Amino acid sequence: MKTEKSRLIQIAILAALGLAAALSLALPQLLRGEREPQLLSLTVLLRDTDSSGWTVARQGMEQAADELGAELRFLTLAAANDGAEQEELLLREIEDGAAALVVVPADPAALSAALDPWLVVCPVVTLESPMEGAAGVVSPDNALLGQELAEALLEDWDGGEVLLLDTAGRCAGVSARLAAAEETLAAEGIPARRAEALPEEPPRWVMAFEPSVTQRTAEGREAGGRDFALYGVGSAAAITAQLERGNLAAIAAWSDYAAGYLAVRRAVNAVRGTGGALGPLPFFILREEDIYAPENQKLLFPIMSSSSR
Amino acid sequence: MNVFRRLAAQWAERYRKMSIQMVLSLSFTAVAAAGMLLMSVSLIWRFSAVNEQLVAENSRRVLAQANLNLDSYLRRMMRISDTVYYRSIKNMDLAEDDLTGDLSLLYEENRDDLVSLAVFDGEGALVSAVPLTALKRDAETADSDWFQAASQSMENLHFSTPHVQNIFDDPDYPYRWVVSLSRHVQLTRDGATEGGVLLVDMSFSGIEQVCRDVTLGSGGYLYLIDGDGELIYHPRQQLIYAGLLEENNRAAAAYRDGSHQEKFQGRSRQVTVKTMGYTGWKLVGVAPAESWFAASPQLPLFGLTLLLFSIFLMAFLNFLISARISDPILRLERSIRELDKGLAGVKIEEGGCYEVQRLNHAVASMVSTMRHLMDDIVRQEGEKRRSELEVLQSQINPHFLYNTLDSVIWMTESGQQTEAIQMVTSLARLFRISLSKGKSIIPLADELEHARHYMNIQQIRYKNKFTTEIEARPGTEGLYTLKLIIQPLLENAIYHGMASAEDDGLIRVTAYREGEDLLIDVEDNGLGMRPELAASLLDEDRPEVRTKGSGIGVRNVHQRVGLTFGEGYGLAIFSEPDEGTLVRIRLPALDREEAERRRQGEEL
Repeated sequence: MKTEKSRLIQIAILAALGLAAALSLALPQLLRGEREPQLLSLTVLLRDTDSSGWTVARQGMEQAADELGAELRFLTLAAANDGAEQEELLLREIEDGAAALVVVPADPAALSAALDPWLVVCPVVTLESPMEGAAGVVSPDNALLGQELAEALLEDWDGGEVLLLDTAGRCAGVSARLAAAEETLAAEGIPARRAEALPEEPPRWVMAFEPSVTQRTAEGREAGGRDFALYGVGSAAAITAQLERGNLAAIAAWSDYAAGYLAVRRAVNAVRGTGGALGPLPFFILREEDIYAPENQKLLFPIMSSSSR
Repeated sequence: MNVFRRLAAQWAERYRKMSIQMVLSLSFTAVAAAGMLLMSVSLIWRFSAVNEQLVAENSRRVLAQANLNLDSYLRRMMRISDTVYYRSIKNMDLAEDDLTGDLSLLYEENRDDLVSLAVFDGEGALVSAVPLTALKRDAETADSDWFQAASQSMENLHFSTPHVQNIFDDPDYPYRWVVSLSRHVQLTRDGATEGGVLLVDMSFSGIEQVCRDVTLGSGGYLYLIDGDGELIYHPRQQLIYAGLLEENNRAAAAYRDGSHQEKFQGRSRQVTVKTMGYTGWKLVGVAPAESWFAASPQLPLFGLTLLLFSIFLMAFLNFLISARISDPILRLERSIRELDKGLAGVKIEEGGCYEVQRLNHAVASMVSTMRHLMDDIVRQEGEKRRSELEVLQSQINPHFLYNTLDSVIWMTESGQQTEAIQMVTSLARLFRISLSKGKSIIPLADELEHARHYMNIQQIRYKNKFTTEIEARPGTEGLYTLKLIIQPLLENAIYHGMASAEDDGLIRVTAYREGEDLLIDVEDNGLGMRPELAASLLDEDRPEVRTKGSGIGVRNVHQRVGLTFGEGYGLAIFSEPDEGTLVRIRLPALDREEAERRRQGEEL
């Protein structure tokens, strides 16, 4: 009886050892499958017709895609801020097998409703504006940004009305910046009004809350030889150049490179089920005299751009 | 401490309950596994140490090559600076000559590596520059780091860290990253010399190209810092600038040239540092620990497979060998247990290794001796019992003798001379055959004669209440039998069968042969008895009651026959109430020779 028990124990030990040896032999094959994830196909869709203002963000996205094993497809709209076209394009991309989407939503609420059935199979990461059901948003704290930009204006303000360019339509992130700036100015008793476009005779103080509008307004100021103090957002080279030329009084800037990198990284992590939530992107208020401070140089002018030029 | 004691006690308890095979196999396997594990660990450690040295060596070699390339690049820039200074500026009076032509020529020759060439006077005012010829309106040249460095240390050439060159007025605002090489120069203007600064802006991409293609094995990379640890080049420089990545560059600035181990952000890595001669910049090669600890992630797994397979084989062999050693011991133990249970015919195998064979042999020898001794004891006990029974049966019942002699006296006094003589004669014959010279096996004829004389006496005593028939059938001639086995049966038949006979009693003795056996039937037509009572008469466990007709004589005969000739021989009683009783004696059919041989055996 005891001998039988001993034999059973021995057979069990041999079986366990044999199984472990076989498993360790098969493990590299199993691990190899896990270690070599498929190249993910990601679609990046802007809400502008032109992607030139996103060059730096794109470099960050490509860096992340290169590191994390993804390939990017950049799309722009035929008409700026066309939510319907954006929905149509995104649905087509999902049908074509996009693993995840990185979007600058024109109308986050409508886009969320349209993509709702697909959000589980195709994670969406937004830039600029948060969207319900999205895997994450990469954006500065829009309300705080609007507030600090208004405070920058307050430092210079010596009387007169402030014009707030309300150009974003249903873009929640931009609207949040505008609302916060408006509230800050109102709290200080500064007269302010909204306008969808710059009037022929603008007041002395103008605030823009989108990079593209900031750039256009600054270029318009220079071209028209107008004299008003413009406060805007964005860190593209063209905006920085306008700041340096004195067409912008101050800008709220952030690292577009970091924004692009984080957006793609979050999208890849969402597909692979890893990574955590994203915090708001750091931003800073920049005036002309601070452009070439070493830390600002590093954030505003991506070092890779020198080699690509 | 108590825990260890308790564990030791548990282990000792378990050890006591383990089979020898289990102890052997588990011990051998554990020792072998520990040995192999130790060997594997030492091999991996050794392999890793060698690999670490190789990685360090490789890093040093790669860094030396990168240093050579970078040094060559920087020296080329320094040569450009020298050319501008010694061939143009030194030979020119700025009041008469224009420096721009020479600068343009040099710029065109090296435009892939250069962003700008410029000469400034001591106040920072632009003397000449290519390709951009004007400064920004608010350019603060004299406050620039590169200008200050050149002005303060006039003998040397100064390399700046990467920065965006922002002094020239460029309508495109390209924001180019450059590394500025500046030096103090002597300018000649109207024959008088004055201080100035020569600026050579190298494109950062030149340095980047030298460093970018350098690889340091699996996961390794190279970066470049200045003497203060300020980053000049890093493969993921913009991520670091954007605050998404950190590098240990400040600590690396304090390292001496050579390989160092460091732990950064929880990861061990090997850092190899090489300081560049003129600039004081440091090339830093980083190799993560994984790259030397396991050159391939499959290697540890392969090692693990080998280890597990070796342990599996060792365990298999240990189990086989331990079984081979312990099986003979287990078989011996099983045999001894069976012996202990009293099983007969248990065989002690003499297999296994030498010591176990010797042990088996000793146990087998001991068992054999024990068996012989037990057989002797049994045989002696049998002999003793048989002798006792024979002595008992050879004794003449005093009552029988008294009654017979009393009958002789009575017959003599009553004048029955002939009957008296017959009775005395039968008594004499009875005694003579009883003695038989002390032999226990006598001819069948003598035994029947003995029975006949006994019955003669009893018939006289019982006044012929019964008749006797004694017959030896053909085939029994010359056969031998055990002495005095019929008389006790006759006595029993008379006392039990004939007690109530009315002159019609019959006792018949018939001897006949059946195969190799001799059968003697003693049959009466008396009262008979129930079959179960008849069966119980031969039961050895029946209480021995020495009364007339208790059947003790019959049982003694049965035991004597059994003791003499073995199992299968003895008495069988067949009886039915009111029909009579048949007692059958079964003996081996002994001829003269066999009888003689048995007699000699008894004498021995």
